[in-house]
Amino acid sequence: MNRSEIVAAVVRAVGEVLQRDVPDVTEDTRLFDDLQLDSTSILELLMAVEDTMVVEIDPEGLDMDSFRTIGTLVDYLQGLVDLVSTGNAG
Amino acid sequence: MTRESTDYLRRLKTALTGDPATPLAFLCNFEVETQWARHHIGLPAPAAAPTEVVQRMEELGLLLAGPGDVILVKNAPDQGYLRYLGEDLGIGLPAVLVPETTTGDRSTAEDLLNSPQALDRLSALGRRGARLIPMGTSEFEEKLAVSAQVPLAVPDAATFERVNSKIYSRRITEELGLPPVPGWCCETLGELRHALAQAAGLPGPVVVKDAYGVSGKGLVVLDTAAKADRLVRILERRAARTGDDRVALVVEHWIPKRADLNYQITVDRRGGVRLDFVKQALTERGVHQGHLMPADLNDDQHALLRRAAEEVGGRLAADGFFGVAGIDAIVADDERVHPVLEINARFNMSTYQGGMTERFHAPGHVALARHYPVRSAAPLVFDDLRRVLGPLLFPASGGRLIVTCFGTVNIGAGNAGTGDGTPHQGRLYTLLTAPDHDRLTALDRAVQAALAGVIQPREDS
Repeated sequence: MNRSEIVAAVVRAVGEVLQRDVPDVTEDTRLFDDLQLDSTSILELLMAVEDTMVVEIDPEGLDMDSFRTIGTLVDYLQGLVDLVSTGNAG
Repeated sequence: MTRESTDYLRRLKTALTGDPATPLAFLCNFEVETQWARHHIGLPAPAAAPTEVVQRMEELGLLLAGPGDVILVKNAPDQGYLRYLGEDLGIGLPAVLVPETTTGDRSTAEDLLNSPQALDRLSALGRRGARLIPMGTSEFEEKLAVSAQVPLAVPDAATFERVNSKIYSRRITEELGLPPVPGWCCETLGELRHALAQAAGLPGPVVVKDAYGVSGKGLVVLDTAAKADRLVRILERRAARTGDDRVALVVEHWIPKRADLNYQITVDRRGGVRLDFVKQALTERGVHQGHLMPADLNDDQHALLRRAAEEVGGRLAADGFFGVAGIDAIVADDERVHPVLEINARFNMSTYQGGMTERFHAPGHVALARHYPVRSAAPLVFDDLRRVLGPLLFPASGGRLIVTCFGTVNIGAGNAGTGDGTPHQGRLYTLLTAPDHDRLTALDRAVQAALAGVIQPREDS
């Protein structure tokens, strides 16, 4: 899964949580300030990302810095995907 | 204007110490719930550092404490704000004790425990009869009481922790025969699976809440079977990893509601219960935004809340608790009142405002306690804000604005436009009073317009 696919998966998951389309977002779009996600949405967002990306996320392994922007969350997920790829290759 | 203590404060002192003149050392430790939650397995969540906004809210103690009392705070209040409270509002202010050693990542009680000079001053107050009154007691406040030799005016940490669980709230509501919100208590993953399976057969979404979740956190709304499955899957993975399938959760039906309510009781040391007030709570996506007074309720609805206050207070007393408890309730769309959504047996935002409403909320008038999310381009002093708000801060026929917490204004100052996405930015806490709802709404708009001139309000304000 490449980075643009991960971005698309995160945007889909955000749309599912907010129950609306989220057009015109970039990696710099802020999850709380720009998209009005709130702290009650974080677990739901991670659950949705798990389904759209078919990865396993441990919410307790993240910190709130990963939720600053679309890009910071993608950074974390990219790390997960890379880890899985490395594991599969090995 | 008077510089005496309010009746509200004298009643609180009498209930907790038996004497309306007992000097109190107020410690507004809003983070105490996090300490109670550490002993229980809730919903999985990312690690969150203590927020500065919560730490700065401790200056709310200025509103509740009186002359002869002291507030223990991590940061000294703004001098201009103290002048405003003392000279413009005529409030008799407490002394302020700031520990000489502070760090951002620990509680004020821990700071005090590491500050010998402040501890000495606190001990001196203890020798003069002062009692320590935290918002709620955790092991840190217990240690502080021992180290400073200032006895607690409230129960110990174990008692607070026991009665502040949402599982406790649900169980006593059912035992007392009060109309519960339909739902289940879950202490194992198996019980959660069972509850979600039963909930799936009923219409509407359910909400899963941490037994020790703080406001606006520790809950997830499940409106499809797929989401319920996802949650169970994540929790099963955690249980497999840790070898521990315990949880401390409640599952409740999401009831369509007309209004959220918050009422406060004070349970005295002999088990007497007083209903202090009933307010309409304003929430947005589960996050507390403010309170409206008086609440819009009919006589029967008031009567049910009075009964619930008496019975819940009596049960708290029987379980070893005395002190202040805020109780959340809801009025459903069909006007049925569910009088106990959760019990917060600790000081609440409203607790600190009790003295201010006694002084400034005239009978027959309406009042709104709310905060304005703000983001300043650079740190402000209170006198900057005073110039901006100008006449709104003084009594007028259209109502009056009272600033109830200034310390939270500068949170995130200088971050405007940097895209850091921090969820908590500056907040201005206020109380607005006006003769009627129309003028209250106009005053609210005028405050927003005035703030827009200097402080960039957030888009969600």
